[in-house]
Amino acid sequence: MYSKTYSAAVHGIEGQIVNVEADVCDGLPLFAMVGYLGAEVKEAKERVKIALKNFGYRLPPKHITINLSPADMRKEGTAFDLSIAIAILAALGVIPDEELNRTLFMGELSLDGKICPVNGILPVVYKAREEGFKKCIVPKANANEGAVVEGIDVYGAETLLEIVDDLNHKKKIPLTVVDTKKLFMQNQKDKDYNFEDVIGQENLKRAVEVSVSGMHHLLIIGPPGVGKTMIAKRIPSIMPELSFEESMDITKVYSISGLLKKEAYLVNKRPFRAPHHTVTATALIGGGIHPRPGEVSLATGGVLFLDELAEYSKNTVELLRQPLEDKRITITRLQGTYEYPANFMLVGAMNPCKCGYYPDRNRCHCSENEVRRYLEKLSGPLIDRMDMCAEAVLIEYDKLDGKQTMESSDVIRKRVKKARKIQLERYKKEAVYFNGALTPDLVKKYCQIKKEGQDMIASFFTDKPLSARAYHKLLKVARTIADLDESEGIQTKHLAESIFYRMNDKKYWD
Amino acid sequence: MENIKFQYISQENNAYPEKLRHIYKPPKALYVRGGFPEESKLCIAIIGARNCSTYGKETAYYFARELAKNGAEIVSGLARGIDGAAHKGALACGKKTYGVLGCGIDVCYPKEHARMYEEMEKEGGIISEYGLGIAPLAGYFPMRNRIISGLSNGILIIEARERSGSLITVEYGLEQGKDIFVLPGRICDELSRGCNRLLKAGAIPVTEPSDILEYYGVAVDKRGVATKKNNNLLEKHEEVVYSNLCLVPKHLNQVVVECNLPAATVMQSLILLEIKGYIKQPTKSYYIKTLE
Repeated sequence: MYSKTYSAAVHGIEGQIVNVEADVCDGLPLFAMVGYLGAEVKEAKERVKIALKNFGYRLPPKHITINLSPADMRKEGTAFDLSIAIAILAALGVIPDEELNRTLFMGELSLDGKICPVNGILPVVYKAREEGFKKCIVPKANANEGAVVEGIDVYGAETLLEIVDDLNHKKKIPLTVVDTKKLFMQNQKDKDYNFEDVIGQENLKRAVEVSVSGMHHLLIIGPPGVGKTMIAKRIPSIMPELSFEESMDITKVYSISGLLKKEAYLVNKRPFRAPHHTVTATALIGGGIHPRPGEVSLATGGVLFLDELAEYSKNTVELLRQPLEDKRITITRLQGTYEYPANFMLVGAMNPCKCGYYPDRNRCHCSENEVRRYLEKLSGPLIDRMDMCAEAVLIEYDKLDGKQTMESSDVIRKRVKKARKIQLERYKKEAVYFNGALTPDLVKKYCQIKKEGQDMIASFFTDKPLSARAYHKLLKVARTIADLDESEGIQTKHLAESIFYRMNDKKYWD
Repeated sequence: MENIKFQYISQENNAYPEKLRHIYKPPKALYVRGGFPEESKLCIAIIGARNCSTYGKETAYYFARELAKNGAEIVSGLARGIDGAAHKGALACGKKTYGVLGCGIDVCYPKEHARMYEEMEKEGGIISEYGLGIAPLAGYFPMRNRIISGLSNGILIIEARERSGSLITVEYGLEQGKDIFVLPGRICDELSRGCNRLLKAGAIPVTEPSDILEYYGVAVDKRGVATKKNNNLLEKHEEVVYSNLCLVPKHLNQVVVECNLPAATVMQSLILLEIKGYIKQPTKSYYIKTLE
């Protein structure tokens, strides 16, 4: 007897349907599995055999062959267990196969017939809907995650028995229903992180506002303990709210990484990722033998915060160059090429010197050479990609009494949204969305400055030569400041402010 | 390094500086690129911390420039920080300045002063008692300090911590009967602890270059550490911002808060003031007034 069920594998962030065929015929007793299987898929054999036995069905001494196709695609993971078991049961006539061609199964089996959760449910269910499936049976623990997709029925099963009963029309598994819109709306506001809590640092807060408005990557320099991390953590709270589509894309990445929590199976806040500086290249970029998304992908739509930027290994941060440029990361391995999104805002933070207190000479005893050496630890290419640099400064104690009311994130967010709208409008015919992504040609086209502005820049930079790249950055940032000001052209005051956020200055780097 | 031209001057040579003949343990011979300070001219040593503050650097530069302008020659140790600033100040007004090394005459230490070495070879001189290829070891520096003090008439200490190498020079100076001038500092500043201690011990406090010049009877038109006058063409906001600054670097944020003006206005004023040369940025976004 032959039967066929469907399961799916995750490739990059897309699901891919896998056919699971089972054939049971007379011959020497044998359980063979073919189809370019990874080690954990091969082990499914034992799990399925024993799970079936414990569920009350002893496999007959027959020649059983399982084929997973397309046979030229490497199969990884434990999500095929369930579909293999179902295919065997169908081939043996225990369950009818009428519904099997419209149903997709995902799940790992334990020896007692329970169904354990697996990663990547969301992209798989998405794919299933696209391919015209009517029904997905997934582990109960993952059911909510899958049910977020509309237009396909998702059932969460706890044991193999439940599924057999369901397919035999004895006892139906209840349909999992999730009110996606409501879920998306709830808790969207971040109560924990609000700019209200940040006292002082006006200059830095303004720099953050500008950088978020134009999607400029930002570097924060300042002594330890003055709130660099605190401010960085609050950046997502002033970014425009996620759209539903964005939220879905981010949730997919989190789904395949197994990072969705039980209650929050839809990512509806912008992510904030802060990998420790010992992070490996693979963890940052993604990859591994079975490629998985790295921090750059997990930060998609949000902020990638690299604290103590100078401490990261040069080779690791250098790898950020491609994702920063392409907004996606391509990982090529023997088995194939995987693509993950990597559209994030990069925020770096570092101390100005080894001890962290330069230029306060009462505290900092670093020699000038030490200061320079410390700053030179940053790789040039990375500095090139940072558009803005702002300082965090020490705040006096009497200001920290908390009596002042600070601007809340919502107020700032409104301004950011307005500035972003102006940009989207302006660049609707171009391939970019925000000022931060302008190419030199587009800078020429959209960032014209008047004569007086040019004069000011010329006289300010007479004895400190400005490279073409630095000049473009200056203009891009000035454009964003003008947008925040809702000004058509770039005025001198916008340029003046952008000079304060410049990078690559001879004072910090030459 | 191959092309370095230097002279070897032993004690028997007439060119050997007369002032050094009278100190305790005079160097047997000196290596020199350029020349020695002129015997007849007033010679002031300006010394201080290597890891100095911006304020220290600015004042060292200013004092050296003003003293040099009025005919004094500046001696120092070519080190980072105060020493370098003092040499630069003298070179800035095209006057002669002399550096005494704690390493071989052909060794450039610290490396970033290579340009200054070249300039000083033409405008002044570089002096060492160590021959070719001697590495700059910590042990050599206290010894070269006796030459710095020996060559000078008076020693000006700009910034010194409680335990500072500059104090060694002062000790040699006192032994050799030189005048000790000290720039007073705030009592809480680490970098002024050494200075203030010297003042308590009887050193001569100095607040402007003319103090030193007058001490030696050099006629000068009296002028203090006047920062640039703001009576000329400053706009209202610029004036507010300008008067908020001093010689201790202030961050933009602090200026904005203290001036109580919109950040954009302050930023624009700072840029314009910097363009006009009233203020400068020692570190990014930190500002000080420029000395006249």
